[in-house]
Amino acid sequence: MLKYSIKRIILAFVTAFIILTLTFFLVKSLPLSLPLSAPINIRNGYFETQENLGYMFTSPTKIDSLKLLYETTTENEFGKQVPVYYYQTPIVTQYFRWLGNIVTKWDWGTSTQIAAGQSAIQIIFERLPVSLSVNIISVILSVPLGIGLGIWAGLKKNSWIDHTISTLVMVLISIPSFVIITFMVYILSYQLGWLPSMWPTPDQTLRTRVLAYIIPVLSLSFGSICGYTRFVRAELCEVMSSEYLLLARTKGLTKTQAITRHALRNAFVPVLPSILAEFIGIFSGSMILEQIYGIPGIGKLYITALSATNPAAADYPVLMVDMAIFTTVGLLAGIILDLSYGFIDPRIRMGEKN
Amino acid sequence: MAKKKIENQDFEINSLPDEAQDSSISKEDFVLTNVDKSIHDQKFQTKPTTFFKDSLKRFTKNKSSVVAAIILGVLLLLAIFVPIFDTNDTDSSHPEIAYLQPKLFDAGTGFWDGTKKYYHIPVDVSEDPEGIDKEANWWPKPGDDQGQFNKSAVMNKKFSDLSYTDAATEYGKEGYFKFGYYNYVDDKVEYASLTSSVFKEFDVNANHYLTKFDTYDLDKIDMMDEGQGLPENAVLGRAGFYFSYETGEVDKYQEPIRDSIEILPYQDVYSIGSDIESLREDKINISEKIKEATTQTSFVNAMFEVRVENELNHENTVVLLRGMEFDTESSNAAFKEQLIARGFNDATEFAIRTYEDKEKNPQVNYWSTTGSRGIHLSKSYFCDFTYDVYEAKLGKKTTYLSKSDIDNYIEDGVLILEYGDPIIDWDTGEYVIDENTFKYEMLKPNDCSITEDITAADLIIDQNPEHKITYGKVTNVKVTIMQYKEIDIFKGYNSMPKFLFGTNKSGRDMLKYVFEGLRTSLILGIVTSAVCFLFGLVYGAISGYFGGNVDIVMERFTDILSGIPWIVVMTLAIVHLGRTFFVFALALCLTGWIGTAATTRTQFYRFRGREYVLASRTLGASDARLIAKHILPNAMGTIITSAVLMVPSVIFSEATIAYLNLGLQGLSSLGVTLQDNQAELQSNPYLLIFPSVIIALLMISFNLFGNGLRDAVNPSLKGEGE
Repeated sequence: MLKYSIKRIILAFVTAFIILTLTFFLVKSLPLSLPLSAPINIRNGYFETQENLGYMFTSPTKIDSLKLLYETTTENEFGKQVPVYYYQTPIVTQYFRWLGNIVTKWDWGTSTQIAAGQSAIQIIFERLPVSLSVNIISVILSVPLGIGLGIWAGLKKNSWIDHTISTLVMVLISIPSFVIITFMVYILSYQLGWLPSMWPTPDQTLRTRVLAYIIPVLSLSFGSICGYTRFVRAELCEVMSSEYLLLARTKGLTKTQAITRHALRNAFVPVLPSILAEFIGIFSGSMILEQIYGIPGIGKLYITALSATNPAAADYPVLMVDMAIFTTVGLLAGIILDLSYGFIDPRIRMGEKN
Repeated sequence: MAKKKIENQDFEINSLPDEAQDSSISKEDFVLTNVDKSIHDQKFQTKPTTFFKDSLKRFTKNKSSVVAAIILGVLLLLAIFVPIFDTNDTDSSHPEIAYLQPKLFDAGTGFWDGTKKYYHIPVDVSEDPEGIDKEANWWPKPGDDQGQFNKSAVMNKKFSDLSYTDAATEYGKEGYFKFGYYNYVDDKVEYASLTSSVFKEFDVNANHYLTKFDTYDLDKIDMMDEGQGLPENAVLGRAGFYFSYETGEVDKYQEPIRDSIEILPYQDVYSIGSDIESLREDKINISEKIKEATTQTSFVNAMFEVRVENELNHENTVVLLRGMEFDTESSNAAFKEQLIARGFNDATEFAIRTYEDKEKNPQVNYWSTTGSRGIHLSKSYFCDFTYDVYEAKLGKKTTYLSKSDIDNYIEDGVLILEYGDPIIDWDTGEYVIDENTFKYEMLKPNDCSITEDITAADLIIDQNPEHKITYGKVTNVKVTIMQYKEIDIFKGYNSMPKFLFGTNKSGRDMLKYVFEGLRTSLILGIVTSAVCFLFGLVYGAISGYFGGNVDIVMERFTDILSGIPWIVVMTLAIVHLGRTFFVFALALCLTGWIGTAATTRTQFYRFRGREYVLASRTLGASDARLIAKHILPNAMGTIITSAVLMVPSVIFSEATIAYLNLGLQGLSSLGVTLQDNQAELQSNPYLLIFPSVIIALLMISFNLFGNGLRDAVNPSLKGEGE
């Protein structure tokens, strides 16, 4: 088990490394986005930082063969203003410096547009709490609800309750999230006027800010509630028809005893790991939801940093960190899912030699 | 067990009674039947079935899947045929028919009838303030971007309520002004000032008074609704009145000299709150105050300014001002009126109209306050009504046609319009047309937008003697036209056009647009699924069939690939290669095949060790034959199902990407349509409802269909994932 776990973690590291490397080269090969519209001191500060980090180099004279990124003046030792020209270091060199900066200084780069001159990782951490709060509430709501509905449907298999729940789950799981959000905003905000139609700014009343959680949380929860309901119901149905449950009833356990002691415990073996994986998932933001509802989280940050409509306004360092977070969260969730199977059920020890 | 039974029987046979043994059966007692017939296997009475026929039979038993399949089929047909048969133009924009509401039934039926419901629209009661009960005397007034409401298209108008609003409306009464706001960004209170730079020809010789300067009443504020957002500590403040002016003569290319005078210096200023009582009934002579400061009389441009500032550094403090009135003893009547208009008796009056333009141009000039308009709790009447958008935009409209336009019609033989030369009516001294010489007939109503008969009174005669050429001649004709007949794209229409799904902001037919989008989405889904299916099949087959090291290497590869979030792959591909159909298909394929490969691999693992495969291999079958003839047919059902279920996920992915502002360009797709119209959810929800319903229907039926298919081809999996 230990060997397998270590293997999985190393593999995840390798995967993350390869993905980030690929992403780095792909992003770097895009047209550069530079904070040229920022105030002069921030702009100069940015280019200085870039030079210190090794992504750019300066030259006192113009180099015609390279693309000039920026020119400014600086004071030399005699107190005279001399021109400084900034050029990009070769991408491969930049890559190794980038890796070095991450490993030694935990420096993921500097934002160019969103908050020019600020550290990209800092920007991410500023936006993370909002995404996190919405996601946590949604997980806390959806896990018990989903499991509860799943158990209910599973125990009443083939009754009208089961059919109703299963149909609803089928329908809700199929409808795309953006349609659900759109309709919720339309009905709950515009038609009934109960909830705010956009994420409120911090100066709004506490009441509004609390109410603003309802639509995002619900729209995030619908998917996972349906997922859990479906999952739990399928597992429970399988367990309910197993022979050991029949044995349990035969040896005199009441139905409740049989279900709580045997059926549920066994049905939960595959469900529990996915709950753990879901808890890892709270660290990533839902882009569509954050975009439509205007939540200033890291999902929206991704879209802002990408700025498809205006490539000059794109903020690639921030985008890189955001991509790194999404990748890491995905990989981590996968590892947790696979490893926890083994911990919960000793029979499933993946990768172990029989 | 079986053996024992036979033994028992043997025993019974052996122990038969003696007499039975005696009656021996002779050889002749046995007659051979079917001696002259050759016996073959009987043909099955039941019809032979194949795997797919069997699956189909199982599939048809699943009612919901059949319904889903039918819906899918209908959607598919609509996606193919609607863009072909709907001849409306969706390539270019037609702003004149923008935002026509979806219409299926006649207007007034209340549902899908091309009308739009308006709620809480301010009412203009200025024509008859007391007549709010009488329908005829009040009309809804334009909102922000709607322009004037067309009176003939307003249906079921109903006075809804009298309520308070913070919006600056021309029709509000009373209310308060907020002279400051709390700036959360800088964490401080920003002071506001009111300025109006329209004070020209300020006559300092006459006396002008600020007769009333009212601040809010605390008791009244308590009564106000909390939800209106009144700050709790809106208490103290000071007001100062400034008068600034420019001197010099503008016409003589001279730069005016700017100067400003403080009329009421701060030390004189009355604290807003309790102290204001003293000011309320007093008059402040503005002119005197100005005279005190300056003797200048030749103002080119003057500006009167009220600056309000809070005294204590209260957080979130705003100063509320209720009313301000001016009066003057000036003999200049026009100026008198103008000055009075500058004051305000109630909050909304502060939205000052430029007096001269009041008639021609009802535009409102707001006195600016920094940050917000600052109007609070102004009282206004509101109404609800149904608005027939088709009638307003395409229906009847009275307009004036020039004489040359009419002449063109006459030349084309569309209508006959004859009249004698205008004669002077001696009672009024104006030119009129003699009724007896007037003749009008409409010959080709379909070629002309004029709907109602023209009478002699509709001919407009130039009555201005200064116009030497046109004086006393017919210049224009007042006509009632059908607006849609004037629009090029409705040429040949004899009845009002209908748009089943309405039109969008650029006047494109949403019905065609949505189904074109559906077509794009479906093609993208099917093409991508097909490519992924083929690639995944080959990859999975190799990986699953050969196993061993080949499998391990291939699996690691997919592990890494599937670790990349698809959204990252798509973003990078699209940003690098552009937003075309091909790039979308490619980007979706990059990670899309992994699922099919995994399914195929599992299936191959499952079947490759089976006895029949082993038997075939023993007989010398090659790997290719084993894969193609033995394993694949068994695995096919499951793999196809996974490919079918991929189509909705591709469509979903495409729509998701569209929401990231990276949608397809140059082609309409459902996702792009939804994203484009997201901002209009409140004002024109139908733009989102129709595509949303279609995409939801598509997804639901695809999933139901896919699940039914899976159950049908693989009965052992039935119930899984439901």
